[in-house]
Amino acid sequence: MKDVAGTTLIETRQLVKSFGGVRATDTVDFILKEGELRCLIGPNGAGKSTFFKLLTGQIAPTSGNILFDGDDVTGLSSFEIARQGIGIKNQKPDVFDGLSARENLWLAAQFDTDKKTADRRVERVVDELKLGAFVHKLVGELAHGQRQWVEIGMVMARSPRLILLDEPSAGMDQEERVRTAELLKALNTTTTIVVVEHDMQFIKRIADVVTVFHRGKILREAHVDVVLRDPEVRNVYLGRTEVV
Amino acid sequence: MAKFLQRLQSPSGERPGAAWWAFVVIASLILALLPQTLGLAQLLDLSVVLVLALLALSMSFLWGYIGILSFGQTAFFGTGGYVYAVAAMNFDSTTLPFLLGIVLPMLLAAVLGYFMVYGKLSDIYFSVMTLVITLIMNKAMRATSGSQYVVGDVRLNGQNGIPGVPPLQVPWNPEVTLFIDHVYYLAAALLILVYIGLRLLLTTSFGRVMIGIRENEQRIELLGYDARRYKLLAFILSGALAGLSGTMFAIWGNFVAPEMFGLDRAAEVIIWVIVGGKATLIGPIVGVGIIQYLTSWLGMQGVGQVTLVLGVILIVFVLAFKDGLVPTLGNLLLRLVGADPESRIKKGSDLEKGSDL
Repeated sequence: MKDVAGTTLIETRQLVKSFGGVRATDTVDFILKEGELRCLIGPNGAGKSTFFKLLTGQIAPTSGNILFDGDDVTGLSSFEIARQGIGIKNQKPDVFDGLSARENLWLAAQFDTDKKTADRRVERVVDELKLGAFVHKLVGELAHGQRQWVEIGMVMARSPRLILLDEPSAGMDQEERVRTAELLKALNTTTTIVVVEHDMQFIKRIADVVTVFHRGKILREAHVDVVLRDPEVRNVYLGRTEVV
Repeated sequence: MAKFLQRLQSPSGERPGAAWWAFVVIASLILALLPQTLGLAQLLDLSVVLVLALLALSMSFLWGYIGILSFGQTAFFGTGGYVYAVAAMNFDSTTLPFLLGIVLPMLLAAVLGYFMVYGKLSDIYFSVMTLVITLIMNKAMRATSGSQYVVGDVRLNGQNGIPGVPPLQVPWNPEVTLFIDHVYYLAAALLILVYIGLRLLLTTSFGRVMIGIRENEQRIELLGYDARRYKLLAFILSGALAGLSGTMFAIWGNFVAPEMFGLDRAAEVIIWVIVGGKATLIGPIVGVGIIQYLTSWLGMQGVGQVTLVLGVILIVFVLAFKDGLVPTLGNLLLRLVGADPESRIKKGSDLEKGSDL
């Protein structure tokens, strides 16, 4: 599903989000084609997570528009946007701590279907993500990485058209990161994905095009190799040469 | 033994197991046989515990299942009582008044809940608003002592309340009315049915989403669920339960008064639920039993400041037994029989997190 010359799946036009006098998202024009796997990078406070929250209706924009598959979804509630087909894994594990991993997945899977189909979806996700070892444990008792997997599983169980992942590899060890990267590439064969990440090795492993955020604006948007060699990007974000 | 206890604490979203059903059957048998050993006065006392347990369940269901603290369940309790009283005194039959005593509080909950839930009131404002509503209703009912406050043939009587509320008639034989022991059996049957119904509700999609809202409302919304709809439905259901309790209270005492809406009663409901354990269904029932017994005992001992004592009990439980009596004792029992209590009800978890009870 790498037909990035295809239809535009999500687009923002002059999107602004202000908190008091601070513009966390500043006139962002963003276009994502169906089938892309895009990475968003930028220093802390660049506005990446705010941008994700705007796309998913967790916060309302101050001005500007968000279009999903050609429809204006600006100002819709989180649940309405989720129903359009956008799933998100937030920066911090955003799960149901008091329920088992299976119950978490089931809640995600059963939304728009009957119990049998939901059960099948859960089993599929458990197999694909290899969650069997801890699927009956309380999520609140799992390690950070496992909680991340459960949340990714919840997003997958909904089979959305667009998946937004905010730092999916945070708190994972090297082996888990490699596994996550492979998973995302496999997922991308059927789903459009946007990933916020800081781990450059991880980004290089999964992404072609990278969008760089800085002070709420899009600073650059190009192939990962080009972006990482850009002096201005290195200056504002990387700040050190050895990262690349 | 350990296995039995652990089975009683199976995950909330799963169907209750044989151990839970055995517990229900045994509890039902005990309730059915108790009148054989009790005098009428004791039966009367026990009946009101069962009736008020319905009110406690209406709150713990809302608080423990979906995370909404409604301080004013007494608004629906009082409405149920008054509706039954006024309707039963106006109509020949008590069947319709009994149903109205449930349906009208439910409609009231629907209207109030709609504005509070869709008005996006935060949790604390929701609690305050429900409390304010019940206090307003209390005040309003107290102000109905004038002769102009008549519904049909019934004077509302202000703070004196309405005495002589008709006893419940057998629907298919209106000549027969329920006596004390019949009211006891009816209250026991209703309590058991409500208890089973609420537990089974957890196994439905609706129940699981409610738990999801309690756990993480934002995540529920991000999965596509409209949390407001679930909150409103839960609030309506809890209003119906409180109305049922109020109706039964009017039948039990043959009397309704503005105190049914009052602050004392509203606070008592919180104490019952906190003492018993808000995240269990059996906890609030135990809480009502303990507090009612204690209140009655303190009264007999000539202690004038019963409310003060209850306040102290509440503080002790909030500080020392955060989860309430039933979860705390459940964990203790599991440890005594050598089993590791499921983390769902471990200290620090403010929820039943699946205790079957």
